[in-house]
Amino acid sequence: MNRVIEQAGRAGRRREAGAALSLLGPASLLMLLMLVAPLGFMLRDSLNRFDPTEMMIAAVTGENYLRFLVDPFYRSVLYTTIRVSVIVTATCLVFGLPMAWRLARSTSRWKSALVVLTVLPLFIGSTTRTAGWMILFSRGGMLDILSRLLFDAGPGSLMYTEPAVILGIIAINLPFTVLTLQSVFEGIDPRLEEAAASMGAAPSRAFWRIVFPLALPGVLIAAVLCFILCMNAFATPVLLGGPKFQMMAPLLFWAFSGDNNWPFAAALAFILMATTLGLTGLANVVIPRRYRGG
Amino acid sequence: MPEPIQRRTLSRRVVLGAGALLAAPALLTRRAGAAETCVVGTWGGDYARLLRENIDDPILKPAGVEVIQDVGDETPRFTKLAAQRKLPHGTVDIACLGAVNGYRATDADLVEPLDETKVPNLKHVLPALRMPAFVPHIYSAQVIVYNPANVPNPPQSFGDLLDARWKGKIGMVSTVAQWVMAGASLLETGTTTDFDKAKAFMLKLNANGLRLYPETDALAPAFKSGEIDVGVIWLARAFMWQNAGFPVKGAFPKEGATLYVSGMVLPKNAPNKDAAYKYMNALLEPAAQQGFAAHMGYLPTVDNAPLSGKVGEQLAFPEPRPKLVTVDYAAMSKAMSDLNDWWLKNIQHS
Repeated sequence: MNRVIEQAGRAGRRREAGAALSLLGPASLLMLLMLVAPLGFMLRDSLNRFDPTEMMIAAVTGENYLRFLVDPFYRSVLYTTIRVSVIVTATCLVFGLPMAWRLARSTSRWKSALVVLTVLPLFIGSTTRTAGWMILFSRGGMLDILSRLLFDAGPGSLMYTEPAVILGIIAINLPFTVLTLQSVFEGIDPRLEEAAASMGAAPSRAFWRIVFPLALPGVLIAAVLCFILCMNAFATPVLLGGPKFQMMAPLLFWAFSGDNNWPFAAALAFILMATTLGLTGLANVVIPRRYRGG
Repeated sequence: MPEPIQRRTLSRRVVLGAGALLAAPALLTRRAGAAETCVVGTWGGDYARLLRENIDDPILKPAGVEVIQDVGDETPRFTKLAAQRKLPHGTVDIACLGAVNGYRATDADLVEPLDETKVPNLKHVLPALRMPAFVPHIYSAQVIVYNPANVPNPPQSFGDLLDARWKGKIGMVSTVAQWVMAGASLLETGTTTDFDKAKAFMLKLNANGLRLYPETDALAPAFKSGEIDVGVIWLARAFMWQNAGFPVKGAFPKEGATLYVSGMVLPKNAPNKDAAYKYMNALLEPAAQQGFAAHMGYLPTVDNAPLSGKVGEQLAFPEPRPKLVTVDYAAMSKAMSDLNDWWLKNIQHS
């Protein structure tokens, strides 16, 4: 009798495994073909040698990675990219947290409209949106005039500067941050705040002592999302930063398309990917396990 | 000596083969009535539109050739030519390239040498623009552009740009590094090949507050707002701005103006070579050449397409006729990678 039950159990498990495989298989295969395989090719390319006539010479060399590491110019581009990403991420969190919390706790009939307003900037293509910023930042533009009045800066001083790039990327990343954080706050029971208030905690104290620690795993996800988007930003640094401002994604494109140096471009891509993953992993380590969820 | 990767790596070949298979329907599918197909790798925008309006529809279509445009940037197009060199059939019949890449493609043996019996209009090509495997389509001179409303006495040479009165008022596009360097070399040595002297000049120009812009059209608002007073660009672009109602003028540098030449090559593995030859010949037809001049301000590369009317006046060379210089493509293509890297680190990042 027991053996019959055991066999039936095994057959059931096999059916489940088969069903799981049939559901996960196509997507995994597609992923393998469309993401992992090109990455494999690119990794191989990054170990080749560049030749202006032949484009690439088959080799196994680390010279493309070494070129990046030993040249202070390329390292400075990576540092700029990290600096801009950290500033953008921190700013998006500072502005996004109160916006998201307010949206999540809102019972107003206008809540849906507010959410739509938050994501409205994403309805416009990034290049079009950036072109709008260019008009505001250019000499005689509204933000240019404002910056001159406030900071006594020279005319046209905002266009093609790091602050212009930071503002432009924040405009793109803030909706992502707010939406992510809002869903996190929605998942936290508001009765916890009511309980804290009933015991005499002020709203700010209830937020920082109860809500924020519970939201921290979600905050981390929002920060990582924002950071990754910024590390890989392309259109905004090119259009608002201009040729004299360098970040990694435009540099990578320059190596690939401007200089036709595929091995070096591939190495830059892996360096950017490794740095982004490394710093994201570091955030996971820095934040105490008890706040990380899971 | 290591062997080029294309000769060794099976995987690359397989991938390219797969790409060719994917593109095959575009090559094989013909509209009813078209006897031949010609796939043209070209830039998009106005250039692609003008190809359709001046060559594809009025010349090739009546001749029974259906033209399919493969729109993209020049660098990927050149790369595709190089990567597909070992395939029996490539994916384009004609590739539009600048003359430097045209030279590189010829040097790397990627393209067919020109045959005047198959492209009879080649005999009309201006001698200074002739190349063994590259059909020059349009050309323009690199000039000093200025807004006459703000600049009554424009600079007469690249050297004048070092004058303190232009400090912070000079604009250029970052993507024309090689051409500006060739112009600087021409100023310093009378040749377009001394890039060391050109680098020294560019450092001085950069110290005079050179402003760089990501693309050519970004210069127009900079001129209009007074952010810059002078710029170094192609005369054709000044022509387009003039026609758009922005009255800039171009001054030919007295040491000589370098020429940008754009044209087409026929890949050795082009699937429809006969159609490609017809296309190349059509490219040089006077009406097609005049059409490009009228709309884009690029000059005809042939001697039998005179310009008249307003276009003729706008594009006429001043008297005395300025010195026009074809750059040394061999030297430029050899130095290109080094120049790009130097420019990025010393001019862009400064």
